[in-house]
Amino acid sequence: MELPFGFDFISSTAGFDIGWSIIPYEPTMSYGRVYLVGIFNTLILSALIILFATISGFVVGIIRLSRNFLLSQCARWYVEFIRNIPLLIQIIFWFIVVFSTLPPPKESYHLLDIFFLNNRGFYFPSPVFESNASWTLITTLIAGIGSFILIKKSRAYRKLSGNRLAALYPTLLALLSVIIIVFIATGTPLHWKIPTLQGFNFQDGYFFPTAFAAAFVSMTIYRSATIGEMVRAGIQSIDRGQLEAAAAIGFSPFKTLRLIIVPQAARAILPPLINIWLTILKESSLAVAIGFPELVSVFIQTSLNQTGRAIEIVMMVMFFYMCTSLLISFVMNRYNKRIQMQEG
Amino acid sequence: MDNQQKKHGALLKFVPRPDRPPITITYGPVGWLKKNLFGNLWNSLLTITVFFLLFLLLKPFLEWTLFKAVWSASTRRECLSISPDGACWAGIFPWVNNLLYGLYPDALQWRVNLAFAIGLLWFVPLALKKVQQKILFALMGVMLFPFLANYLFLGGDRSSVHYIVACSALAYLLTLYINIILTYLNGKRLEQHLETFMERFSKKRAALLGHSTIWFFLTVVIAYVFKDQALEHVGVDAWGGLFLTLIISGVSIVMALPIGIILALGRRSEMPIIKWFSISTIEVVRSVPMITVLFMSVTMLPLFFPNTMELNKLVQVLVAVCLFAGAYMAETVRGGLQAISRGQYDAAKSLGLGYWRTMIFIILPQALRIMIPNIVTSFISLFKDTTLVSIIGLFDIMLMARNISIDKNWLGLHTEPLVAISVLFFVFCYSMSEYSQRLEKKLNTNR
Repeated sequence: MELPFGFDFISSTAGFDIGWSIIPYEPTMSYGRVYLVGIFNTLILSALIILFATISGFVVGIIRLSRNFLLSQCARWYVEFIRNIPLLIQIIFWFIVVFSTLPPPKESYHLLDIFFLNNRGFYFPSPVFESNASWTLITTLIAGIGSFILIKKSRAYRKLSGNRLAALYPTLLALLSVIIIVFIATGTPLHWKIPTLQGFNFQDGYFFPTAFAAAFVSMTIYRSATIGEMVRAGIQSIDRGQLEAAAAIGFSPFKTLRLIIVPQAARAILPPLINIWLTILKESSLAVAIGFPELVSVFIQTSLNQTGRAIEIVMMVMFFYMCTSLLISFVMNRYNKRIQMQEG
Repeated sequence: MDNQQKKHGALLKFVPRPDRPPITITYGPVGWLKKNLFGNLWNSLLTITVFFLLFLLLKPFLEWTLFKAVWSASTRRECLSISPDGACWAGIFPWVNNLLYGLYPDALQWRVNLAFAIGLLWFVPLALKKVQQKILFALMGVMLFPFLANYLFLGGDRSSVHYIVACSALAYLLTLYINIILTYLNGKRLEQHLETFMERFSKKRAALLGHSTIWFFLTVVIAYVFKDQALEHVGVDAWGGLFLTLIISGVSIVMALPIGIILALGRRSEMPIIKWFSISTIEVVRSVPMITVLFMSVTMLPLFFPNTMELNKLVQVLVAVCLFAGAYMAETVRGGLQAISRGQYDAAKSLGLGYWRTMIFIILPQALRIMIPNIVTSFISLFKDTTLVSIIGLFDIMLMARNISIDKNWLGLHTEPLVAISVLFFVFCYSMSEYSQRLEKKLNTNR
């Protein structure tokens, strides 16, 4: 099997089907398209995991610091159990034991007849935009930019005069009302398509396959434990004196949290949090073990087996992960530099 | 005074202050409960809710794992007929052997046990107080033991060099233990007994000469004793289970440290080629998922070797895992190197030490000491990550556990094996992390 090195295979027809993709895909499309499908599937999976794991991680971290012994011990053992069991075992456990044993579509679990969960996946309504919807979009954009400028101005004003000028809530209110007025004036151009059972399967709406759901749930849980531990360490790293000082000058608990704890904890938490986000992006490739069509699965496994272009394909996949990792770390490091303590 | 008291006598009538509230008990079990669980209304409500939720959650779990579980049955059908909603642990027992050793022949498993026992013996003295030169024999263990282990695991016709190195490893361990016993008996090591005799040949290095003579002598004896003992060949394909998981994690843990140190030093080097090579290796490997490194090794490595040469999958996986672990270790070591103050370098320089001596005797011991907890943490994550090799088809404990559900007696038995190996991993990883935390505390108090 001697193949010349080259990327000419990208434009040739792939010919195999992919179980699930967010961008449209047909087997007649090229390997380049397969690459894109893999990238987008990986990105949506890791973006959702990052979002939910960060939120639940903060919840776990705060529960861990609760003064209630029972509650904090629950959080502690949750963290210990989750992070000491390999992720791959957890992914496969969720896929085989939980999501594959769900009932068939006809008997699926449902919430208000809008969301459905069965052994094919998770079904939810999809938005349908009519042609007028673009007006609402434009208004939202303009209002967003306007409010951003206003908030900046008010901050500058506060720095100069020392007086607080309420900006956030009025702007948000104005922004929302403008958007709603435009939305109604153009004739409510948004509808929801609710999934309905037709024959043996659901029609309309969007769905996530069970492999996606299993990968999402298991990785969110796994990373919520690690992020929780990090948040705990970050909050505990704040000197007790800071809290006492805040109490001494008469700050309320909420004000202490907002102005003393959060800004300082954020400095300690953000750098490791960025690292974990990058890890999540890389880790989402483990979904290959349960057959979710993400980049490694569609490209390194299927496409490589069909074309035999080992070097090119592995290089392309690595290139994607490298670029994305570097991009995320670049953006987040700039943000990190801004919020870190500026001495002198 | 007296007058004043008389004047104000009417005003100075004794009025008792109101009683203080009773002291809240803050000691003993009652005080603990009050403080931690039922401090105020909100706290008590929270405690009761959590307790209730925990009960709801744990009751079915305990019922499934213990009270309704089936411990002996011959097939899954039998399990289900005895107790349909309990765990079927009976399915695990016939597979325990496979989970531990993979497809390693039953009759030859003593070799694996022996090798692991020897490996343990090698590292027991590290915990003994009176033993000296711990670093030296740990290093010798890391260098010699793999040959011995490989000889025992693989068997078959190995080259004579391999045989002799394996024998010398055994001999070294033997001298080590003789020395330990002698140290505890009369405080004199073996070579010190021989010192007077050896001083005839070389005054300066008598001890070293004595030690190596005994070592050489024992090697010859062992090689002679075992020369007719042929070990049956067991191919790498038959290795599996926990045994394989431990091999992969063991090799990568041992290799990660030297690779990591070299890359970390390279990254701080002033020679541009070495520096940029190290930086690009570390950054590329760290920014891609481990699974792609594994795939790269499995699909690309054969392309760089002639067709006639057959690489076995285990070696390819080991290369990938070592590279991966090394790159991560490099960043850990770099963290330690950065924590060493400039003064240490200057002091070493003013003593006239060169680069390597500065690094080996001054900087690295301090840097590694600081980073020990972090190193243990990365070992734990490495140990967990070895399960990924099941994706590319090596029969480690994970894939073995999943294979139970294909066994025709235990068809569809998915949950129990996964839970069983989860418990195993939890015990391993949790004890390691507890150990590292204790180590961290100990190191902090020593400083």
